Amino acid sequence: MPSKSATKKAKPDKPGLSEEILLGLYINIVKTRTTDERLRKLFRQGRFAGTYFSAVGQEATTVGPTYGLRKDDIIAPSHREIGAAITKGIPLEKIFAQVYARSNSPDKGKSHPCHYGDRELGVIHPSSTVASQAVIGTGCAMGFQIQKKDNVVLAFFGEGGTSRGGWHEALNFAGIHKLPIVYICQNNLWAESVPSTKQAGIENFSDRAKAYGFPGETIDGNDLVLVHKRAYEAVRRARAGEGPTLIECRTYRWYGHSEIDPADYRSPDEIEYWKKQDPVVRHEKLLMDLGILTVEKRAAMVEDIDQEIDAAIKICEAAKYVEPEEAYNDVYSEAFPVRRNDNIDV
Amino acid sequence: MKKTSYIEAITETLFEEMERDERVFLIGEDIGVYGGVFKATKGLLDRFGPERVIDSPISEVYIAGGSVGAAMVGMKPVPEIQFADFITPAMDQLIQQAAKMRYRTGGQWTCPMTVRVCCGGDVGGGLYHSQINEQWFFSQPGLIVVMPATPYDAKGLLRSAIRGDDPVIYFEHKRLYRWIKEDLPEEDFTVPIGKAAVRKEGSDLTILSYGLMYHRSLQAAESLDKKGISAEVIDLRTLRPWDMETIMESVKKTSRALLVQEGSKTGGVMAEISATITEEVFDYLDAPITRVCGIDVPAIPFAPPMEHFFLPNADKIVTAATRLMEY
Ligand SMILES: Cc1ncc(C[n+]2csc(CCOP(=O)(O)OP(=O)(O)O)c2C)c(N)n1
Ligand SMILES: [Mg+2]
Repeated sequence: MPSKSATKKAKPDKPGLSEEILLGLYINIVKTRTTDERLRKLFRQGRFAGTYFSAVGQEATTVGPTYGLRKDDIIAPSHREIGAAITKGIPLEKIFAQVYARSNSPDKGKSHPCHYGDRELGVIHPSSTVASQAVIGTGCAMGFQIQKKDNVVLAFFGEGGTSRGGWHEALNFAGIHKLPIVYICQNNLWAESVPSTKQAGIENFSDRAKAYGFPGETIDGNDLVLVHKRAYEAVRRARAGEGPTLIECRTYRWYGHSEIDPADYRSPDEIEYWKKQDPVVRHEKLLMDLGILTVEKRAAMVEDIDQEIDAAIKICEAAKYVEPEEAYNDVYSEAFPVRRNDNIDV
Repeated sequence: MKKTSYIEAITETLFEEMERDERVFLIGEDIGVYGGVFKATKGLLDRFGPERVIDSPISEVYIAGGSVGAAMVGMKPVPEIQFADFITPAMDQLIQQAAKMRYRTGGQWTCPMTVRVCCGGDVGGGLYHSQINEQWFFSQPGLIVVMPATPYDAKGLLRSAIRGDDPVIYFEHKRLYRWIKEDLPEEDFTVPIGKAAVRKEGSDLTILSYGLMYHRSLQAAESLDKKGISAEVIDLRTLRPWDMETIMESVKKTSRALLVQEGSKTGGVMAEISATITEEVFDYLDAPITRVCGIDVPAIPFAPPMEHFFLPNADKIVTAATRLMEY
């Protein structure tokens, strides 16, 4: 299952990435993991409404591709991309504000706990319709192409999302026009309760790229270095006008589809196997072996992140909800105020 | 002044807006080399090239959703849906993305775009080339919905739509494409979105309609005049947000409302307007609100007598108006 392209030489410079990048990747994946685990806890404590989609176990698939993008590149995420949001630079305070739906949340409390976005940072606040952002992300890439700009779009979705018609229409179009986009499929083997074998009659979802005339590959999605390198190369190609790439990252979500899902459709053995493939531990081990990371350095880093999280939670729990009437805002441009239901307003 | 047909008004406007603003581009099926199945985009490919006049694969989801994305990075897309009948795959993108983009992002991302949709019956198009489904979009907050009835409005509303900051569903009625010609001013004019037009003043009843049905209503009003019934005829033009003020003022004046709509009756635009009239100006009414609509069947049937049977026309409107006056 892991790609044949995984590097084999056992030298200290094995990853072929600078220390700065290796550490940068590490900080982002640890931040993502720590934030995600904290959010799960907060949800179970009833501290915010709705539900929560944990991405624990599959962080390398979002952190890896996002790391190193330009600020004006665009992320078109789905529902499990907290790692992309954090790595693109959305501050933790905004992440928590989104989850808490308070007045400081980027979407002003409108959407969903996991719909992180920020226009300044080029992150599209997703919708819940799976893989739809692959469609509009392709449209962003079309826009960049018409504008003759060299910005790139990174579109994320699960393997389940690739069964939707719009996904195929988008990739087909991207292939015709060689659009500057990289499609990242996070194949975590399950779409809610449905296994990937019931999602498609092919083994490698990346094979679908062939039908659309551009390269696709299936890689070990828990190898942060590998994911980053393959995505980085795809981004380079996209930016150079060489067209799209589909990268299928094999990975696994440790917990339920959302926090209200016990996920008892999966075997304990399967979960056990994948927990041993922990992308954070694997990257950490690499850095320790290379002597880039020490136990002390790691402890200090984790402490910093914990403090940042604590501060963010404090701000968000103290923040007010938006006024209910603000439900009327942001429907249209200012030219078209919404007609109010005045007769029932109390 | 220049005699211009409804479809020429559309083509000219696309030319002008693309000249005026390089962010404007077109995408749709057969719109480039072929110039559109009705020739609405004729000549545009030659003038603006394949990057701004994109012949798309048969992919309505992408035509809509790709336009949303392009708009988000600063383009001004004018996608074409060849027939309203084929807009259904695009619904997901129009309803879940276009209509909600501003809302779900707290105003950060927007997608100003103008979706041209060719719609309507009375052309022998059959079950799958005559549909008019504006009510689906009419009921969706976040979208603007317009349907011009005249060349002047076709031009003025298209300009307003393209120059605006919101997603607009622009319904163009194929029966009107080459039927009506009108002298249009050469200078740059727009028709404001959200404003109805009182086309003929009257005192006995208000006939409200839009699109092809506006012309049927006007024809009916002329017959009614001869019978001594003075009908005020209003063309709604914008369906969402519709012009409540103009309609209520007219109904207050005439005390009778006849609402005419081409599509099926149940759940249509006129159902909503009827409910609002009773909420707002019930005390002024001298008779129940009356609707003349298409019948409640899945779409306009093909056989000419059945198509005729489906569609409201001047005779049906005159009959309904006469009964309304007798109430
Ligand atoms: C169009 C659509 N259909 C159904 C759903 C309900 N739903 C939400 S997530 C999900 C599973 C998605 O699986 P996958 O794409 O593999 O992503 P994952 O959750 O595994 O990350 C489903 C069925 C939805 N959100 N959108
Ligand atoms: Mg999945």
